[in-house]
Amino acid sequence: MRAFASSFVRELDFLSRNFWDRAMVSWFPAMLLGILAWVFGAGVVRDLPIVLVDQDQTQISRELGLRLDAAPAIHVVASILDFGEAKQFVQARKAYVVVLIPSGASREILQGNSAAIEVFYNASYSTASGALLRDVNSVIEDYSAKLAMRQTAALQPSGVRPPPIKVQSTLLFNPQRSYEFQLVSLLHPALLHLAFMIAVTSALGRELRDRTIGEWLCERWSTVPAIAGKIAPYILIFMGWSLVVTVYLAKFRGWPIQGRVSLLILAYLCMYTAYSAIALALVGVTRSMMQSLSVAGIYAGASFAFTGAIFPIQSASGFARVWSQILPFTWFTKVLNGQWSMAGPPEVAIGYIGILCLFTGLGTLIGLPGYINAATQPAVWGRR
Amino acid sequence: MIARAFFATFKAILSDRPAFLLLGVSFVLYSFFYPSAYTGQVAVRLPLVVVDLDNSASSRSLAVKIGATQQARVVARAPSLNEAQILLEDERATAIVLIPSGFGDEIRAGGQGVVSLYGNGAYLLRSGAALSGVATSLGALAVESAKDQARTLGAPAANPLKVIERPLFNTREGYGSTVVPGVVFLIVHQTLLMGLALLAATLREAQGRTKFPLRTFLGIALAFFVLGVAEVFYFSGFVFWLQDYPRGAGRLGDLLLSGGLFVSATIAGALALGSFFRTRERPVQIWIITSLPIYFLSGLSWPIEAMPHWLAVFRRLFPTSSGIQVMIGLNQMGAPLSNLWPDLANLFGLTAAYGVIAVCRLVDFSGGAGLSSLTKGRIALSQKALSGADER
Repeated sequence: MRAFASSFVRELDFLSRNFWDRAMVSWFPAMLLGILAWVFGAGVVRDLPIVLVDQDQTQISRELGLRLDAAPAIHVVASILDFGEAKQFVQARKAYVVVLIPSGASREILQGNSAAIEVFYNASYSTASGALLRDVNSVIEDYSAKLAMRQTAALQPSGVRPPPIKVQSTLLFNPQRSYEFQLVSLLHPALLHLAFMIAVTSALGRELRDRTIGEWLCERWSTVPAIAGKIAPYILIFMGWSLVVTVYLAKFRGWPIQGRVSLLILAYLCMYTAYSAIALALVGVTRSMMQSLSVAGIYAGASFAFTGAIFPIQSASGFARVWSQILPFTWFTKVLNGQWSMAGPPEVAIGYIGILCLFTGLGTLIGLPGYINAATQPAVWGRR
Repeated sequence: MIARAFFATFKAILSDRPAFLLLGVSFVLYSFFYPSAYTGQVAVRLPLVVVDLDNSASSRSLAVKIGATQQARVVARAPSLNEAQILLEDERATAIVLIPSGFGDEIRAGGQGVVSLYGNGAYLLRSGAALSGVATSLGALAVESAKDQARTLGAPAANPLKVIERPLFNTREGYGSTVVPGVVFLIVHQTLLMGLALLAATLREAQGRTKFPLRTFLGIALAFFVLGVAEVFYFSGFVFWLQDYPRGAGRLGDLLLSGGLFVSATIAGALALGSFFRTRERPVQIWIITSLPIYFLSGLSWPIEAMPHWLAVFRRLFPTSSGIQVMIGLNQMGAPLSNLWPDLANLFGLTAAYGVIAVCRLVDFSGGAGLSSLTKGRIALSQKALSGADER
């Protein structure tokens, strides 16, 4: 216990004396978390630019244009005749979508036929185009229903009936279709686990680089509590940041946690412990601060892409699926998704937390002997 | 003099293993590793659960027809919404179609039967677009189902407007081709920036602030410029071809000019920033945690129009923001340079602004350090560490 406490105090003392090392666990990650929160602060996209190519030039086409502009996601920046010119708008990123009303559209409608409205969307920008397509579709569908009523009333005044089936589309667990909730809830822990892993890898590797590991781990019998005492301040600091980002989204942005908060907090704790163990393994094996940091970057740097929470990883290549599974962050996001928005069963979450603990065990097993051993071998110290 | 500094820079990179890994190896590693996350294909047929609470002739026929559409396949039938929801949480299904009781009666009576479609919002980016496809195909089924009704009541209102959706540019719409072609330029940016900063920090740690003659400075910048342009062509040419992403839509000359501007802005920024680092390992720490925010500021995966105004301005400080937009414009959209000028002007402005800072910090017009200091930084650092150990 004494070794744990003295190591703990020693690390805090180091942080208090070194501005940039302190920055890497305090205001620097805080600033990055803040930027991510701001980027997605709007949550839903509004007033994205589209171009209307109205070759019909009738009352019907003009009304459709007005209705499109009135939809929340849509802002009609130009109404022109030439499709080529409209494409220029998209290439210059002044519009994401072009809605083309062909000439003769209203004649078709008045004759009782269907007119095809062509919607061209910039698939290179999928988020913006996706949001626009949804609104464009619903505006056209609504207007189509209105036109149908008007037309049928004109042809056979007695027999106006709505179409026999109506489809109501709802998103469970995120009915507001908020990108803020979907992305920020994942991006914040993604950033935190990276910053945490860097901090712990640096803290462990620094003792080797600065040749201080020998005097720090000199008492053979107390090495394990000493190492735990060194990592503990970082776990505390990052648990603090985790609470801050969770409260930010749950309380200030209005995305309450549907499941159990305690499980989410436990998952954070076990994720950090798992990454501590992996950091220990990296430093224990490479015995170099620089190398272990580089490997940590390759290992965890892309974990956001490999979680499968944004894009389906299940249908990706075998390598990608295996890579996804050897990242504790993947299992953490399963707990987060299950508990935050879905109120999923606690047993499932506890299972995932168990997997996080496996990483801790395995990482410690690999890294601890090598790291303790390095403390008695001055020849491996000081590598840059 | 410029040529000698140019070669000395490559020698310095080659003699420092972590710097070489960052500048010469990591981007190749990433070019295979990163796209693998996105090899999952866009689900052509969305797995659906059908909850038929009506159990009438109309509802059964609708359920059968849903399974026969191109957009969806029915993976299970569940007796209640709760049980269907479990399938959704297990990710065995992506959406639920709920046919409420009374659906058949309503249609026979000439009214409107309401079908509910539930998607999983916890995976918004995945299910958002796919869901609207299913909704559209369900709407089309409505017309067929109406035939029964029509026999007794006459034809219902026709559908005066129909929508035809057509993708422009990235027409394959794979997951990879919407993300990776942007991310690779972030990789170019981060490896160049941090590799250069690593060497600069090592030099500074070993021998304090070092200033160079202008020609040496230009030689160093040119070496990194060549490395950066090679990376841009490696990704735009080889990787996009290998992964079969949209490519080569623009002219080669345009690509050379824009890629060159992006790399110059990055190198100028790297030289300016690198001069501030004092610890060899620091750039690696920064590289790892800044990539995510810088990527989302680029405006590829999240529209710039939806960012707060000050962030939309702030993002221009990063060469990646304009660089990614320009490269997507050229590689995927085949945009002429005249359509890309605001971003090109921004890259030019960044090159000039960061360049001035770098010159002020690193150039000594009355002499400065010799070329030998370039390659000796690491050795000096090791010797310094050794002598420190002896004292201890």
